[in-house]
Amino acid sequence: MDLFLQTLLNGLLIGGVIATFTIGFQLAFGVLHVIDFAVGGWVVLGGYLGYYMAAGLGVDGFLAIPIAFVLFGAIGYLIGPILYNVRNSRTARPELMALALTFGLFTLLRGGMLTAWGFNTHSVPTALSGESLAVGPLTVPLVRVAAAVFAVAIAGGLFVFLYRTRYGLAIRATAESRQNAALMGVNIRRLSANVYGLYAGITAMAGVLMGAIFSVNPEVGLRYTLFAFFVAVLAGLGSVGGALVAALLLGVIEAFVATYVGSSYSLLAIFATLFLVLLVSPRGILRHGL
Amino acid sequence: MSTKSKGFSRRRILGGSAVAFAAGTLGIPFVRTARAQVATFKAGVITSLSGENILGGNLTKRGYDLWAEAINAKGGVEVASQRFKVDMFDGDDQSNPATGADAAERLIVQNEVDVLFGPYTSGSTIAVQPICQKYQVPMISGSAESPNVWKAKPEFNFGIIPAVDTTAGKSLAVLAKLSNPTAKTIAVIGVNEPFSKETGEGFRDGAKEAGLEVVAYELVPASGDLTPVISKIAALNPDIVAVGGHEEPLINVVKTSKSLNFRPKALIMHYGVTDPAFAQALAADADGTSGVSVWLPSVQYKDDLFGTAREFAEMAQKKSGHEPDYTEAACAASGLVFGDAVKRLGKKPALTREDRVALKDAIAATDIQTFYGPIKFEKEGNHYHDNVQPVPVLIQIQGGKTVAVGPKEAAAADLTYPLPAWK
Repeated sequence: MDLFLQTLLNGLLIGGVIATFTIGFQLAFGVLHVIDFAVGGWVVLGGYLGYYMAAGLGVDGFLAIPIAFVLFGAIGYLIGPILYNVRNSRTARPELMALALTFGLFTLLRGGMLTAWGFNTHSVPTALSGESLAVGPLTVPLVRVAAAVFAVAIAGGLFVFLYRTRYGLAIRATAESRQNAALMGVNIRRLSANVYGLYAGITAMAGVLMGAIFSVNPEVGLRYTLFAFFVAVLAGLGSVGGALVAALLLGVIEAFVATYVGSSYSLLAIFATLFLVLLVSPRGILRHGL
Repeated sequence: MSTKSKGFSRRRILGGSAVAFAAGTLGIPFVRTARAQVATFKAGVITSLSGENILGGNLTKRGYDLWAEAINAKGGVEVASQRFKVDMFDGDDQSNPATGADAAERLIVQNEVDVLFGPYTSGSTIAVQPICQKYQVPMISGSAESPNVWKAKPEFNFGIIPAVDTTAGKSLAVLAKLSNPTAKTIAVIGVNEPFSKETGEGFRDGAKEAGLEVVAYELVPASGDLTPVISKIAALNPDIVAVGGHEEPLINVVKTSKSLNFRPKALIMHYGVTDPAFAQALAADADGTSGVSVWLPSVQYKDDLFGTAREFAEMAQKKSGHEPDYTEAACAASGLVFGDAVKRLGKKPALTREDRVALKDAIAATDIQTFYGPIKFEKEGNHYHDNVQPVPVLIQIQGGKTVAVGPKEAAAADLTYPLPAWK
């Protein structure tokens, strides 16, 4: 029973960890209608910021979280209009061109990091790294709890922002119909830049947490991109709330399969779940977008 | 004001084209002839210069390049009292075996290399072997440790490092023997990719021979989260946890174990622990982790090119800023094997197909002493063409440094066992 409860806890925490970098991805897709392959690149950049702040300044890695938001949010804000232009260009298949652009951006980020910082694996030291709390028979890894709390807070914050503010209304309107939103006076171009900046900032913040939980090197980005994509498809592309639910579901499935069936079957179980959901409910588990 | 363009006129372009044509037809062959007079040996390095194994890939490249620089500084490889420099050509397998095979073919066909130096991963090595066979180009592999590389009985491939099935089990036996109180149980984790999986199998089979009870044997995907498997193993409370994997999963095993407050009495890994990046990434948490090494800078071997093992280590450290591990050393030693074989063969560059076949036979007959240790390839059996001469040393990270702790005759410090609780 103890192992069962520990496995459930592990699964929920893995889900929380995955959700951190998937929520922004969903937001960007909802508004820009672009599957952003660069998501893993933003995660890794956040991780490196955490590592270099901790190693260079001797501060706690978590202090990099707000800085990651501001820094990479600003960079994302500058990249957003480029992506918007490509996505809305009059060339044939602009959605594929946008996909190629994000793939190129990911390759550029990966190569740039490799050239600038080398290929060694680093870790982001934080006050919570390696710390755990004993709750009855359970061991609760605190850094993962921090990631799960972060994911819930970001999802909650975005929910309030999207459904309780005028700007959120504009974002949702744009996600639903760009033309109608533009006719209502929404500056789509600026909104897209803001949303991409928000997404890049949130994802880089998640990257600091990933660097603290796992480790960071330029090559791990692809893994995050794939997981973000799996979760997004399971959630229904564009659904922020669905991302949280889907990530938790995948986390629990991975944990139970790894513990009770065998770790080598965990990815198989994840793919099987994805396949089944696409078969039964192609719009994702919550059946709606933003 | 003149309306004539000062830039390109048709006459200029035609004139320029005529000069370029003349240079192309007359000048370039002349240059080629001039180059052909300075004959060099061409060596191709296939390794992971991008992708998930980039750390190890660059480490192997550093080793091969160290040899090339050292031998070129002496004037080159000696053949029939003459010296011929070595040109190195790189091929990136992008951490993907199929791409490695393509890279090998390109090096052989386009760059016309005389010899190949093998990839970082065993998976790529296995993929490149048929290409070596097809074009009859010998390959010396300074990194591959999977027994499957040698079970395939590759005619043209030779391995410097003993296969992991010979080293993992032996080291575990040493650890079990040194443990006090004596270890009784073990859990084994292997990352589900060729080398790591076979390391896990080596630990598992070695555990049985060492009289340890295997309470869990888990294969994990390289990209998977380790929390569930560590929780499961923690519940079984084994004395020893053994892990087969490359750098990043090894780091994550330690981080995940600490986050779950699980500390076995001994944690043994194979490759990666000896790389200084491992201890740097984990800082104090790396302390106590054991590993297996077939070479350390402290071993008492030497040769004419690199000098002693310590001198080699200093040379490598000066070059890269890192103390070399056994893979980097084995890669550098690969060049020594080529130099020795081609010297005995007595064939000058460029080697013909017949020369390369004869070179393969000369490499197979290698029996030399190097700073890395003795090198002599098996002529039959499951380790065909692998150098199983080096004796594995059990190492442990103590105070951030890699020290030999067993067997007793090689030990520089006592094994810390059982490991203290996490700080």
